[in-house]
Amino acid sequence: MHDIYNFVSGPLVWVSFIIFFGGILYRLISMAVLAKKKDVIVYEYMSLQYGLRSILHWIIPFGTVKWQKNPIFTIVTFTFHICLIFIPIFLFAHIILWKESWDISWWYISDIAADVLTIVVIASCIFFLVRRIVLPDVKYLTSISDYVILGIVAAPFITGFWTYHQWPGFRIMGIIHILSGEIMLAAIPFTRLSHMIFFPFTRGYMGSEFGAVRHAKDW
Amino acid sequence: MEKRTVMVYIVITLLVFSFAVISGFSQEDVSTIQDSAFKEKMRPPVRFLHDEHNETALIEECNTCHHVYEEGEKAEDESSEDMECSECHALDDGKNPMSLVKIYHVRCKRCHQEKKAGPVMCGECHVK
Ligand code: HEC
Ligand code: HEC
Ligand code: HEC
Ligand code: HEC
Ligand code: HEM
Ligand code: HEM
Repeated sequence: MHDIYNFVSGPLVWVSFIIFFGGILYRLISMAVLAKKKDVIVYEYMSLQYGLRSILHWIIPFGTVKWQKNPIFTIVTFTFHICLIFIPIFLFAHIILWKESWDISWWYISDIAADVLTIVVIASCIFFLVRRIVLPDVKYLTSISDYVILGIVAAPFITGFWTYHQWPGFRIMGIIHILSGEIMLAAIPFTRLSHMIFFPFTRGYMGSEFGAVRHAKDW
Repeated sequence: MEKRTVMVYIVITLLVFSFAVISGFSQEDVSTIQDSAFKEKMRPPVRFLHDEHNETALIEECNTCHHVYEEGEKAEDESSEDMECSECHALDDGKNPMSLVKIYHVRCKRCHQEKKAGPVMCGECHVK
């Protein structure tokens, strides 16, 4: 048990963060190179003003027609994403590990707040899952990989919650938690989760084309 | 009274007595680390059977934990068991617990990781 713990909480953390940041860099560079080779127009169309304008609309809840049409989906998607990014960064248990190894620390939320927000994330994942199973048009567009990705995202939250509450088998669960967190980080650049990296570009490009070329709104 | 009845009484009394002594001892021995600097606790207290722990873990020097520093160097033959850790390792700005929690965790957990024995996960020390 100690060997496994030392391994997943030491070298594997390095590996996952290197894959995460290295992967983001790699994906960005290869996209830029590809766009230059295949479609130089992209660079000419890209407009900071129209791009940012579109991104701004899309990151504001109900800032677009799509968001307005699906109020429940919109609310869930926004709270889900805010909690998803907020919790791991401001969780005391995570920060104290940074403090122990690097002597750095920052503001943290209480364990009770973290617990509540974790439930919100898990509930959102269940919502996304049910939505994919129940709505015919969404189901039609869903492949196995969508479920796998949803599982990868939900796993650190379920296992972290389990470990925190010291439910049976929490030692193993703690190790699975760390592993699942690492898998999620490593998966971000190379799966559909890369929408985190590409969102500003796809949205920015759409905004530029619609704004500067077609003189229309894309929200 | 018959001899046998007396024997039975004595045996029972001895049993009850030794049970009381054993349970009394173990009750006294159960203790937790309660640094007075932590005002509102976020986690359950850490169980730490001081003497028993240091015996089974084969720690001979008190100053492995209760250390004293002189001019930036650990003083080899001095110790500070009459002080709480927080008397030297204060809370940051008098309220942020990060640094104090860190020195406890570094001291306890790092040895367990090196020796591959003893608790390393939050819930193993902060037992509900
Ligand atoms: C593994 C680390 C460790 C070692 C080794 C250790 N102690 Fe302690 N000791 C502690 C901790 C932790 C406390 C609790 C401090 C607190 O509650 O504020 C403590 C508390 C004490 C106290 C105060 C008890 C009280 O009620 O306030 C005394 C006295 C003490 N230790 C003596 C010793 C002596 C003597 C030795 C060497 C034989 C020793 N310790 C070795 C960690 C250690
Ligand atoms: C008499 C003052 C004093 C007391 C009491 C004290 N420390 Fe320290 N400690 C120091 C000083 C001085 C340093 C070295 C300077 C620094 O790094 O802050 C230090 C450093 C440390 C370090 C980091 C360096 C290392 O040795 O790995 C840890 C961990 C630590 N102390 C733990 C503890 C614990 C746990 C207790 C209580 C059992 C304790 N200290 C009690 C003064 C003290
Ligand atoms: C120098 C090494 C060392 C330090 C420092 C140390 N431990 Fe340990 N600890 C051990 C070892 C070795 C064991 C396993 C003993 C055994 O074989 O059961 C252990 C076991 C334990 C156990 C489980 C066994 C028991 O006694 O219930 C607890 C709880 C524990 N340590 C708490 C602590 C805490 C809290 C601290 C910090 C105040 C601490 N330890 C500091 C070496 C250390
Ligand atoms: C090896 C044992 C050990 C492990 C593992 C451990 N701690 Fe601690 N922790 C301690 C000790 C000892 C203290 C000082 C307790 C005291 O004085 O109340 C402490 C103090 C704390 C405190 C400050 C007191 C409080 O309850 O507010 C927090 C918060 C804390 N630990 C959180 C964690 C978290 C989160 C983890 C997992 C990442 C963790 N600990 C793992 C031993 C441990
Ligand atoms: C990469 C390495 C990671 C490590 C070493 C790690 C470590 C930990 C630890 C030690 C705990 C505390 C368990 C306890 O209280 O007993 C925890 C809890 C938690 N972690 Fe992680 N974690 C990692 C990654 C992640 C990621 C990527 C996420 C989410 C995206 C995440 C989300 C959570 C959540 C939600 C909790 C529980 C919060 C609660 O219910 O109070 N972790 N983690
Ligand atoms: C910060 C940048 C991010 C932005 C702007 C963003 C944006 C979005 C948007 C707009 C959607 C809705 C897509 C749709 O219409 O179906 C979405 C869905 C989703 N995002 Fe993100 N996202 C970000 C980061 C992340 C991260 C870091 C993760 C996880 C690691 C993540 C996981 C998901 C999941 C699981 C879904 C829903 C999947 C489903 O419908 O089943 N996102 N994101």
